[in-house]
Amino acid sequence: MSRPGRAIAAGEGRLATLIDLSLCDGCTDRAIPACVAVCKEINKDKIPPIHEPIPVPWPRKKVEDWSRRREVFDRLTPYNFIYVHRAEVEAGGRTRTVFVPRRCMHCDNPACATICPFSANHKYENGAVVIDPDLCFGGAKCKSVCPWEIPQRQSGVGIYLHILPNLAGNGVMYKCDLCRERLAAGKLPGCIEACPRQAMLIGPRKGIFAQTDERAKAMGGYIYGKKENGGTSTLYVSPVPFAALNATMKKQPGRPDMKAERRRMADTDRMGKAVLQAPLYGIAAGVVGAFVSLSRRKDRRKGGEREHG
Amino acid sequence: MGERILWKEGLVVRHGVVEIAEHWAIAISGLILLVTGIFELPMANRYYITSLPGLGWSGDFIKSLYIHYAASVVFIAASVFHLLYHGIRGERGMLPKRGDIGTSIQVIKSFFGKGEEPPFQKYLPEQRLAYAGMAVIIAMLILSGLVKTYKNLYAPDMPLTLVLWATWIHNIFFVLFILALAAHIGALALKPNRPMFRGIFTGTVRLDYARRRHPLWIAEMDLEEMGRWPEVRLPEGNVSEGREAEAGDLDSLHAEIPNDGEDGRGGPAPKMRPVAEEPSELDKYESPPVPPLSPDTDAGDREKEQRDA
Repeated sequence: MSRPGRAIAAGEGRLATLIDLSLCDGCTDRAIPACVAVCKEINKDKIPPIHEPIPVPWPRKKVEDWSRRREVFDRLTPYNFIYVHRAEVEAGGRTRTVFVPRRCMHCDNPACATICPFSANHKYENGAVVIDPDLCFGGAKCKSVCPWEIPQRQSGVGIYLHILPNLAGNGVMYKCDLCRERLAAGKLPGCIEACPRQAMLIGPRKGIFAQTDERAKAMGGYIYGKKENGGTSTLYVSPVPFAALNATMKKQPGRPDMKAERRRMADTDRMGKAVLQAPLYGIAAGVVGAFVSLSRRKDRRKGGEREHG
Repeated sequence: MGERILWKEGLVVRHGVVEIAEHWAIAISGLILLVTGIFELPMANRYYITSLPGLGWSGDFIKSLYIHYAASVVFIAASVFHLLYHGIRGERGMLPKRGDIGTSIQVIKSFFGKGEEPPFQKYLPEQRLAYAGMAVIIAMLILSGLVKTYKNLYAPDMPLTLVLWATWIHNIFFVLFILALAAHIGALALKPNRPMFRGIFTGTVRLDYARRRHPLWIAEMDLEEMGRWPEVRLPEGNVSEGREAEAGDLDSLHAEIPNDGEDGRGGPAPKMRPVAEEPSELDKYESPPVPPLSPDTDAGDREKEQRDA
């Protein structure tokens, strides 16, 4: 399980990942945690050269340019898809340091993908939620509907430059894509492969979920990601409660917290079901209405004939 | 449909309650869909729409999606109702007819003072063409919208190709919907069309207008109501001099529409003059309504019966 076979890595079936916080030591012996370093290396050429000068959008003049701060590794940026949060937690009467790698959760029903007006963001069958940089306009809708505000914008790149750069769009959104290309090539995601302590796993969803339950039980620990935002394919298992971890996190740009997030889109599900049923409402009303009106017309004609006859 | 002539009021019922309800259900829900669709683009926050009083919600994609869904329940149900209700009742007056394109060009030319308008049926040929165009646009919006809704609720990981088709059909036909709506409302800028405007609110248009511009419709109504060609005596100098129509009249009217003589009944026909030598200025629509006929006519009796009923 810790090293899934080639078939699994190739992305057949639904995948899930496990991040075991009892194993992650934050790579304190390195300048940059291994998972972060390798992710940066793999994705270093993902963003094409930035158009200079970056068009200033109108009327809100917000430009987001990380191209001169590519080295930042302690938060999410368009050039950094994973970072490690360090938490000092009081547990069992002693202070404990827990390291929490943070990246896209690859949710089961990701609003970021379903609400994208150009379907530039899509959830694939294997569970990976991937933004297509060639279709993304950088409107940042995905970021605002993500409970963790994971996607990060780089202005001055993307398709919007060729359309109305000052009036519509503002760059491209970037985030973890679960190393989709590496999975397709039969490799593991970079962060998982690079972790010196095997704190992260990937495998068939069922197996990873079972494994997470087992580990949580064994350490008397806690799970995050199973129910959050309606369920995700990233499960954290931790020896300390996530409420305690969350208390060490202050939600700020590029640094998500770990609240028990609910899926906000769920509020629209009932109305969505009514939309899918709406053709039936129309059919019923149309058929009934037409026949009622036709039989009335018939009655009127009969009545008229009788009168005149 | 309830089409009939209200002799006393000098009006013709052009749309029944059902048609008016359909029109406004589709129009109002369509407008809400259009606006919330723009908010989903995302436009509201960027263009400070969120700071307008009462529109603070416009930057919240989940809220505007909810409203988009709610409006589409009405939009879809009303559209499907429309198809079935009128389909079953056999009402085909708005479907394009052979020769409508050529006649439309002739009519549009006449708006700019080139040539005369041909006599119309209930709908202008360009109204029939516009109807077909709008019907296709609405059908595509509904179908693609249903796919998108299904994806949001049940299948965020449906095949990307299908998602992209649905998304781009929805986006492209959204633009076409805006253009079609602009043309639909813009048609009122043409003065000859304005007497029709009251019809979509009150259901009625003025009889003198209808006789002048839609003589084929009035003739059809007469035929349907009386089961024979009418012998209507009208006060001298009003509406239709020599209105003692004969059975061949309708055919000759049809023969006046170019390309419409292909049904074999064509051939040289006496020129129909639906309106007595009236001046051709546009202000003739403002002429007073037709005075009521003497109460001993069939029509007067019928009208009285309807009122009593």
